[in-house]
Amino acid sequence: MIEIDRVSQIFQTSSRKDHLALSDISLTIEDGAFVSILGPSGCGKSTLLYIVGGFVSPTSGLAKMKGKAITGPGPDRGPVFQEFALFPWKTVLGNVMYGPRQQGVRAADAEAQSKALIEMVGLKGYENFYPKELSGGMKQRVALARTLAYHPEVLLMDEPFGALDAHTRTRLQNDLLNIWERDRKTVLFVTHSVEEAVFLSDKVVMMSKSPGRIRQVIDIDLPRPRRRTELLLDPRYQKYVVDIERMFDDSDEPASNP
Amino acid sequence: MMSAATLLKRTAPVLACVGLLAVWQFASLVLKNDSFPTAIEAIRAVPSILTDKDALINILASLRRMAIGFALALAFSIPLGLMMGRSRAVAAFFNPLLMVIYPVPKAALMPIIMLWLGVGDVSKTLVIFLGVSLPVIYHSFEGAKAVEEKMLWSGAAMGLSAGQRLVRIVLPAALPEILTGCRTGLVLALITMITSEMIARQSGAGNILFNALDMGQYDTVFAMIIIVGMMGICLDAAFERIRARLVRWSEPQFDMPLSFS
Repeated sequence: MIEIDRVSQIFQTSSRKDHLALSDISLTIEDGAFVSILGPSGCGKSTLLYIVGGFVSPTSGLAKMKGKAITGPGPDRGPVFQEFALFPWKTVLGNVMYGPRQQGVRAADAEAQSKALIEMVGLKGYENFYPKELSGGMKQRVALARTLAYHPEVLLMDEPFGALDAHTRTRLQNDLLNIWERDRKTVLFVTHSVEEAVFLSDKVVMMSKSPGRIRQVIDIDLPRPRRRTELLLDPRYQKYVVDIERMFDDSDEPASNP
Repeated sequence: MMSAATLLKRTAPVLACVGLLAVWQFASLVLKNDSFPTAIEAIRAVPSILTDKDALINILASLRRMAIGFALALAFSIPLGLMMGRSRAVAAFFNPLLMVIYPVPKAALMPIIMLWLGVGDVSKTLVIFLGVSLPVIYHSFEGAKAVEEKMLWSGAAMGLSAGQRLVRIVLPAALPEILTGCRTGLVLALITMITSEMIARQSGAGNILFNALDMGQYDTVFAMIIIVGMMGICLDAAFERIRARLVRWSEPQFDMPLSFS
């Protein structure tokens, strides 16, 4: 369980003015839940994820994981970034093996596990490719496998499909759900796409900006496993999407750019 | 079959060399100046230098100082540059210092260094060290500064400590940039090597060159210039091979990227 307790974050802008990026955020994320944080750019949703990751310390308030205060990054919380952040000097296999090797897993075991993961994300045959030789979608698959390889309890996904074209994005959403439905890790997923949030999540946290606040938390009560084609025709899915978009429209804060 | 264009591209360096030598030969024949031997005379003097035991000892002593100065400079400058690139405090401390040292010709420090440390190997190696350090620090600094924050975060999440991140993420990620600095440093090592021997004449390739100049053996002077130049070309080519091998992963690819999501 992740608890975010009255977290605020103040950044100094270049003009030396304080900017309140997050204001008094409290949120609880249950184990095994797929939770999306949805909001316009600049609402501090990524910052909130970085605080849970321990990459950024909040100005005030506290984030806790299993009752313990988060003071820094750790292998129990695995990030996947929009920028992929792969190690370009390592091959696909080298990237995926990096975490397990760091955790002290024997080379042969780490290699076998990593190869299985690479196959799971659909990249069998690409083990010895370097990141520069891969497309964006493939890179993000490697990044996901690299994070899964060290068995984090929580996946922290920071607009992971934001840099991909629409077609690739849909494929990766489907594959992520398939992978997630096997072991149901806790996922915190930052996005600005309403459809993506509704399609993937158990719970959508809607944020508004300036200052970044939680507007509303919506439970997505749709059956799993979810199939995209079925869901698109499902009136309940459509209603969630429309309702959320209306709520953003009301406050003149478009959730996504057209 | 090699096309005419490829053939030209392959042989261009050779043609350029031959062209340069031809111009040299022609100019010296026209000018008829004692201090300007013909290309053929100079080239003819090369083997006699390279087979002379004393000359070889001198040249090897130069190369040894250069290798030590270069290696020490890398051992010092790469860690310093990387730390400057990752820590504002370290950068703020060393930047002004380097700004002051940067424009000073390192050979200009030679007289003072000689006064303190004598005319031996220590002074000359120190000058080489100074000459190599700055470009290596600068490029390591720039390389480390450009390392993506998220890459470091990914490492931190895997459990890498700050020190491990510097060695195992910042260093390899900045390696292409660092090696660019090293390549500049290598050429500067050769230049400072010769200049230091010009000022503190005791042994070395520069010593042979300037002694020959004093004695009016101009063919030897030009032969030494050819030898030093060849050394530079060979060192640079060897380094470039190592560099290309080390950073193969970062070289831009001209193949079509794979299209597969």
